[in-house]
Amino acid sequence: MSQQVVSIDNLVKRYGENVAVDHFSLSIEEGEILGLLGPNGSGKTTTINCLLSLLTFDKGNIKIWGKEMSPSAYDIKSQIGVVMQNVAVIETLNVYENVDFFCGLYINDKKLRKQYVEEALEFTGLTEYKKQKPKKLSGGLLRRLNIACGIAHKPKLIIFDEPTVAVDPQSRNSILEGIKKMNKAGATIIYTSHYMEEVEELCSRVVIMDHGKNIANGTANELKSSLISREKIRIGLPNKSPEILAGLKEINHVYKVKEDGEDVIIKCDGGEHNLVHVLSYLTDNNIPFGHVTTELPTLNDVFLEITGKELRD
Amino acid sequence: MFLRIFVYKLKELSRKYWLVGWNFVFPLVLATAFFLGFGNMVKEDPDTLQTFDVGYINELDESAGFEQVLEELSEENDEGTVLLNLHTYSSKKKAIEDMNSDEIYGFYVESEDGIETVIRFNGYVSTIMNEIVREYNNYTDVISDISKDHPEKVADAIDAISARDGFISEHNFGNNTSQYLQYFYALLAMTSLFSSWISTTMLEGMCANMSERGKRVECSPASKFVSIAAGILAGTLLQIVSNIIVVIYIQYILRINLGVPMGTMIVLCSIGSGLGISAGILMGSMIRNERLLVTVPLFFTMTCSFFSGLMWGQIKQLLQYNCPIINKINPAALLTDAMYIRSTYGPTDEFYQDTFIMCLMIVGCLIVSTLFLRRRKYVSL
Repeated sequence: MSQQVVSIDNLVKRYGENVAVDHFSLSIEEGEILGLLGPNGSGKTTTINCLLSLLTFDKGNIKIWGKEMSPSAYDIKSQIGVVMQNVAVIETLNVYENVDFFCGLYINDKKLRKQYVEEALEFTGLTEYKKQKPKKLSGGLLRRLNIACGIAHKPKLIIFDEPTVAVDPQSRNSILEGIKKMNKAGATIIYTSHYMEEVEELCSRVVIMDHGKNIANGTANELKSSLISREKIRIGLPNKSPEILAGLKEINHVYKVKEDGEDVIIKCDGGEHNLVHVLSYLTDNNIPFGHVTTELPTLNDVFLEITGKELRD
Repeated sequence: MFLRIFVYKLKELSRKYWLVGWNFVFPLVLATAFFLGFGNMVKEDPDTLQTFDVGYINELDESAGFEQVLEELSEENDEGTVLLNLHTYSSKKKAIEDMNSDEIYGFYVESEDGIETVIRFNGYVSTIMNEIVREYNNYTDVISDISKDHPEKVADAIDAISARDGFISEHNFGNNTSQYLQYFYALLAMTSLFSSWISTTMLEGMCANMSERGKRVECSPASKFVSIAAGILAGTLLQIVSNIIVVIYIQYILRINLGVPMGTMIVLCSIGSGLGISAGILMGSMIRNERLLVTVPLFFTMTCSFFSGLMWGQIKQLLQYNCPIINKINPAALLTDAMYIRSTYGPTDEFYQDTFIMCLMIVGCLIVSTLFLRRRKYVSL
């Protein structure tokens, strides 16, 4: 049975009248990659800051490895790595010195630290840049340095707070691959993002936050299968008369038909061969149509269905 | 861990170009500008202390102790200098005539009412004349008090005072301190207070509510107290080095004698640096706005320096007469004053008082800062 790494119970954090985290509960098992997904301002970073004992909170209980988390819980802190949302490095130190400085806050042994720093540089592909100052690095390399500083001490729990914001696709893939490797090496990961594709690709479990609340929790497939909408068919339809739209809605498993510009979106609540049924209806009734695409539900659809708004709104 | 943070903070701070510019280069540029502006006046200042002529009138019926003191001061001291030439008069009229014809700078009248100092102009010599009277009165008050309370011990008290090396040895009048040196002292005070920038910069990288780097440090198992203490030490060391460079530049390259022994100067500069650093820590512990973290220390440094006479030498005297408390709470004025007193009068009680107040300020700033910085969790970030 895997060990519980993080346990957040009924967390409440208020900024004056504004409730940033609202009775939020969460538990994370060892070896998981937990995706904390939510739009900007949903309370993800506040939750992380409370978890790290940087922020006070109004109510609730936070335990890491079964121990109460506090600012002086140095034994717990020594096992945690944090990759901040914004790049947190020292401008006047070079790449190697930056990683060595932050690693040195955790590792006292000089020889071991040297080994760890070199491994972190190797891992993030920064070895050839180790003498360079951060301002000479590109945005992607800077993000990698930010990661190297957070993980060099080989933590057992790593928190990534939106590490791919403003990162080019190549660096983004490299970061995601790196996170998978760290997880394979035994680290438990908390990954906050508002990019659902990343979370779907990376995380073994997803928690969706909105207005500080935990509104959905499960694997990506579990969350998607909980949707009413299982399949979305988009058809280019020049003639969108009410009769045609009503006829489409009559097809088995179709529960919603919506105009979207030149197209019509047909949502189905399950069943099989929905596309075949829709196309048969159109051809049988000599209704002309253009392009046809089908989409399986995404986490954005989960969010949309629960909150009534898009994840990136 | 302390040593590693200390070394990295030294590296981090010393590689900040703006900091090196303001704390290391700017004081040298300003010292050069002062030197070009009035360097010669420092060396050939008419107010520079030389042996001065002073009159004395005894209106008492008996020989007076004060006259003996003046006679002692008119003899050559251990350093081969003579503080004053004594002229004795029987009437004020003749003394005034001589004073008006510049034969004497001023004169003392000793009567039953005490010792009156008569001068034509305020200035450096008049300050010394008054200081002599003040010290003499201190001695006589001590004897008088003892004679009231313990008359049997008067002889012992007189012996004890006499056993000291003499009145003049209490005062190191030998240095030729020019009033223009005030500008250089104020410059050193400004340099010291510039270190408040070092503190705010250093704190910015240590506290979670100031920067992402601070968050990273506070998330680590490193003690916040140890991290900040290492940073303070690194900042103070940098500032002391900066001050010593400025002192050496003024003293040995510009060849302007600051009049304070090098050891004492280094101690004073170290205290000044500590004062700047601790004031910066206090500011950093209370300010969160990134811009204010730069502008407040700058405003603080320049305001204190202005009131210590950096731009206008007379301001400190003006404040001393009208609102002396400002000079006692202005760290730059205290440092300037301590250097001036040490240079002019030697290590007097006032010198130690100024030094003590500065140390007290350092402790006060650090205690108040600790109250703010000991916070381990934040309400908002």
